[in-house]
Amino acid sequence: MNDQLHTDEFKDINEAVGEEWESETTPYERIRRVIAHRYMPVSADAVAEDARTSPKTARKHLNTLAEEGFVVTAAGEHGGIVYRRSPESLVVEQAADILEHVSTDELVTRIGEMRDQLNSYQQEYGVDSPEELTIEQTNQTLAEPDSDQSVIDAETIREWQTTRRNLAFANAALSIANAERFVDGDLSSTDENVPA
Amino acid sequence: MIKRVQTDETHSLRGAIDRPALLTIRRIIEREVPLASPELDDYLNPTVLEVTLDDGLCGAETARLDVQWTIHADYKFHYTDSEEVNFRWGKHPHDGDYIHVPGLEHYHPPPNASSTPDEVEESCIKQSPEALVTRAVLKLWRVAYHADAYAPLNAASNPP
Repeated sequence: MNDQLHTDEFKDINEAVGEEWESETTPYERIRRVIAHRYMPVSADAVAEDARTSPKTARKHLNTLAEEGFVVTAAGEHGGIVYRRSPESLVVEQAADILEHVSTDELVTRIGEMRDQLNSYQQEYGVDSPEELTIEQTNQTLAEPDSDQSVIDAETIREWQTTRRNLAFANAALSIANAERFVDGDLSSTDENVPA
Repeated sequence: MIKRVQTDETHSLRGAIDRPALLTIRRIIEREVPLASPELDDYLNPTVLEVTLDDGLCGAETARLDVQWTIHADYKFHYTDSEEVNFRWGKHPHDGDYIHVPGLEHYHPPPNASSTPDEVEESCIKQSPEALVTRAVLKLWRVAYHADAYAPLNAASNPP
């Protein structure tokens, strides 16, 4: 650690932490870090600013990350290219983390619990998704502005969205675990207990 | 009643809690504050990263930092301690209700992390990547800890 940069005296907190980060990382690492959790398309210029590097450097590394499958590209509004984290790469990364830390048995149990949770949201609110719930709630508020009916709070909608997303990661992990079992199993031809 | 509904909606974090971002923030905290023990409340389906701090501010014996981060990069870093002091750095829409806050980044001051519209302050943290927001929070906390005061928590500068 660099004591000079880790001093608690600073003129501007944002500049101070930016300089620290810059001193400990390469431009490639910062660009990868900035785009890792950008799920909406952004320009190379915006990534460059957050990653404290030049747009040219950002574009170069983002294109490398696109070739590696870490980011996906699309045509932006003004003919430029926009970038976002590849959902496929994110799912694989999260699945790998889950398999490293959670046993398959526990995974099966927890997937069941999360499914039950999503089903209970659907039954309780009579809609299929948190997005439908948001629309329904808005319509209801417009139709009956003085209604005393209990309103579903934003936190419930967020919990629903969060559980749905994390169930997707968990399902991907379990699928990979199962696939690996059968791919490995192909090497030993005497296994008679192949589950359905 | 109706006003309350709108307040609830427009003052929330946008989108699902982002497990991948919480894992990144956990790694940063583990590296920067070896004595803290950041843990997800639920490893597979987390809603918050709980960071138990070795010591609290201004005489509090124990303290905790609760971190939330969403897929739209909205966030809350909420401090609470054994003296029941609370404050929070946040970033999310507030529908212009926080009259001193021009952007999304704001600060709910101690002792009770006030949400009273004219008490919520503009946050000194303007960076948006989680790597930088987390570092800024830890640095501000450290300065306040050494100063034995709450004032540095939302001060953009800490001159020698």
